[in-house]
Amino acid sequence: MDIRVLRPSDIPLIQHANIENLPENYFLKYYLYHALSWPQLSYVAVDVSRPAKSAYDYPKIVGYVLAKMEEEPTDGVQHGHITSLSVMRTHRRLGIAEKLMRQSQQAMVETFGAHYVSLHVRVSNAAAIHLYRDTLGFKTEKTEAKYYADGEDAYCMKLDLAPIREALLAEQLDEKDAKPKIEEGKGSEGVDEGEAVGDVGRDPEADSKKEDKTVKVKVGRGLGVGELVERDESKH
Amino acid sequence: MPQTLSTREANLFRTVIRHYEDKQYKRGLKAAEQILKKNPRHGDTMSMKALIMNSQGKTEEAFALAKEALTVDMKSHICWHVYGILYRQHKNFDEAIKAYKFALKLEPESQQIQRDLAVLQVQIRDYQGYVQSRFAMLKAKPHLRQNWTALAIAYQLEGSLEQAENILTTYEKSMTNVPLKTDQEHSEALLYKNTIIAERGDIKRALEHLESDCKNCLDRLAVMEMRARYLGQLNRKEEAAKAWRALLDRNPEHPEYYKGLIEALEIDEKDEAALKAIYDEYAAKYPRSDAAKRLPLNFLTGDSFKAAAKSYLTNMLDRGVPSVFANLKHLYSEVAKKEAILALAEEYLKEHKGSEQANGDSSKGVGAALYFLAQHYNYHLSRDLAKAMEYVEQAIELDPKNVDFHMTKARIFKHQGDTAKASETMDRARSLDTKDRYINSKAAKYQLRNNENEKALETMGLFTRAETVGGPLADLTDMQCMWFLTEDGEAWQRRGNTGLALKRFTTIHNIFDIWQEDQFDFHSFSLRKGQIRAYVDMIRWEDSIREHPFYFRAALDAVKLYLDMFEKQQASANGTNGTGEATNGEDAAEKKKAAKKARKEAQKAEREAAEKAAKQDPNKATAKKDEEPKKKDDDPNGLKLAATTDPLGDAMKFLTNILQFSPKNIEGQVAGFDVYIRRKKYLLALRCLNAAQALNPEHPRVKEQFAELQKAVESLDDAQSAKVKEVLKAKFSS
Repeated sequence: MDIRVLRPSDIPLIQHANIENLPENYFLKYYLYHALSWPQLSYVAVDVSRPAKSAYDYPKIVGYVLAKMEEEPTDGVQHGHITSLSVMRTHRRLGIAEKLMRQSQQAMVETFGAHYVSLHVRVSNAAAIHLYRDTLGFKTEKTEAKYYADGEDAYCMKLDLAPIREALLAEQLDEKDAKPKIEEGKGSEGVDEGEAVGDVGRDPEADSKKEDKTVKVKVGRGLGVGELVERDESKH
Repeated sequence: MPQTLSTREANLFRTVIRHYEDKQYKRGLKAAEQILKKNPRHGDTMSMKALIMNSQGKTEEAFALAKEALTVDMKSHICWHVYGILYRQHKNFDEAIKAYKFALKLEPESQQIQRDLAVLQVQIRDYQGYVQSRFAMLKAKPHLRQNWTALAIAYQLEGSLEQAENILTTYEKSMTNVPLKTDQEHSEALLYKNTIIAERGDIKRALEHLESDCKNCLDRLAVMEMRARYLGQLNRKEEAAKAWRALLDRNPEHPEYYKGLIEALEIDEKDEAALKAIYDEYAAKYPRSDAAKRLPLNFLTGDSFKAAAKSYLTNMLDRGVPSVFANLKHLYSEVAKKEAILALAEEYLKEHKGSEQANGDSSKGVGAALYFLAQHYNYHLSRDLAKAMEYVEQAIELDPKNVDFHMTKARIFKHQGDTAKASETMDRARSLDTKDRYINSKAAKYQLRNNENEKALETMGLFTRAETVGGPLADLTDMQCMWFLTEDGEAWQRRGNTGLALKRFTTIHNIFDIWQEDQFDFHSFSLRKGQIRAYVDMIRWEDSIREHPFYFRAALDAVKLYLDMFEKQQASANGTNGTGEATNGEDAAEKKKAAKKARKEAQKAEREAAEKAAKQDPNKATAKKDEEPKKKDDDPNGLKLAATTDPLGDAMKFLTNILQFSPKNIEGQVAGFDVYIRRKKYLLALRCLNAAQALNPEHPRVKEQFAELQKAVESLDDAQSAKVKEVLKAKFSS
């Protein structure tokens, strides 16, 4: 397994993993929109053990997190949002989803100054809820009735990123002392790491389904980025 | 001569433009008509009317009117601009560029025309033109940083790295105040400049620039990675090692970081113990890391391999990780490792036999070991399907409701060649977890492999959006579900339904067109967002998007199908159909039946669609007024595609992409030969053959094709054939 930041060339196989695993799907352009707006926030898990089949082999994506920053946060607080996260059934229980999420959260703070990250999850998705709540420390904010197209409710969950922010700040202050950079980022997640390490055998299955309903309709299906572009362009 | 309007009508004209921009097409048309009533030959208004009509889907009328507008007012930049926009929307980019250029000549100050032209130039990769356009745009608005960055991008894409860097530097020097630390655009522009310096090959300067200018850039991971790479390239080992270590502390699951560290520490790649020590260090530091434990299995040998593999496998089986086999199978290319792993799994099973109950979770321990062994014997490098079945049955006995176990059982049936049982078993696996789309997708795939297209679509329909007009297939097409379209097409092909098979392959071809067009909006979007490195990555990826295996597979399927169609047409034209072979007659009858059935189905579908449309109140509908009409598919079942009289000509649109984008794929070259020789393009056939031979001279078709080509040109003496003969002769005498 190789966990690394997303590249545009990964997108067809990310889209493939998404539609293979989850009911909420998007055009390729919607992935591009994420990759070109917040390229630091989306990560993939690549199966590196597969031998190349041809000269034009693309790395097989077995898991991904597609993340964004909320462009116009209603509460005025900079925060990230998980658009979609899934791991192929054949690669579950390896802790991939958790690792993808932690990388993304770190970047949300470092690059975009996020204060928290939010997501939606189906109320029936026990495995995903376990990952978010018990492993990663998300709190349920509220329930959104009939959030999903098939009528299922969603939990709206949030994770405060203050620990990452503080660790980053401390590290920047320490830089003068030329202290070697250990535990960069990771240290900040100590809150739940203790639990996680002791829990090696019980990695949460990593599938979950969520997406931003309004944006999906606007950008993913109906209008496309083009509409945003044209409108913004006229402001200049 | 510019045509003038009265004040009232000039105002009206402005509202036409506004309505168009707001997509209020009906209102726009009304206003345009009002102007035209008084000034029937007003070119600009005619053009705007054409533009609106085009947006309403009346393409042909729109083009005719736009042309007429031009004849009325040749000197109007609006007429030319609209003409260009119409061409752009119909993907005729060359003509669009020409029209824009005319418009720009008439109105050199127009930002909008200039911008439209620039975007089109970069879209078609006319980088020289793009440099010119961006230069003009910079001159018009030099205070905008975007314009400087855009010109730098144009230079970089054109290959003038030095100029690109200079432009960025010039802007930096002109900055009067220091941007905020949180200025995303600034941060990215600095990193972008750094990539250009590195691309120029001056790593030393890139490192200096990174350490001085990019220290506080917001993309910290990128800074850390670039720094580690540069230090490594510059042989500054000690610092490089430190940099790689910092990256490993961030993410111990990224193999590149271990590789970098090992290189920096100058560890001999044969020194297994020293290598292992590095990974052990991180396995201890990050007990949840998989990479640190698994990667050493790649280089360890003998007893140390066995020891490491044992601890890895034991840990995974104890935990019941279903992916453990997927994580180890790449080692099977080494026979010793394959055997060692098998022995370890058997040993584990023996040791844990009888502890099933104590465990509780049957996917762990014994269950996991049985499952592992089933996958082992199902894998092509260690295949023994009878044994595989034995193990998987034992596993199922232990836990009859385990989805993974049933899934593997289905795979075993597939490898036995029993697609019916495979399909049935995968559907059983699906029924055990109906909320999981993964297993649902697999069930549909296995149904397609068993030629059950209708059933597969039903299965897929359990997860597609119910409200999509046109049902599951429309949703899967909208959502660009490539695997389904490919498998569905191949299944139709096996069933002899040429129309639907061609339809699916063509849909995939069209989706790639969409993917290529998708970049269009980002040429300006990315400049505003400022994420330039990501944008340049995207441009480079888009350049070769059709080399993707998704494209290649469907395109090759299509080419082969067209070749079949050609052969059949030839055979029936020559009256040689059914020569001697009894099956041929049956075959033909079967095909006829299939075609008849397909036709009937098509008619039925059409009828139903018409009924549905009739039932829908056009005014009520989903009533988003004036919305762009969704184009109706006038050949949903591919009957028109299948009715072609020139299958080889139709194959060309797939073949040219195959040969252009995947020239190193021998199957593509072989298919290319087959098409060209039938089209009597002997030089092109020869070119494919040469390429195939260079890729793999042992390929069974290569020899055959040489003979075929020789025979074809033997009796010909035109210039082309003479040339081919000459080359062939030279080839064989050497």
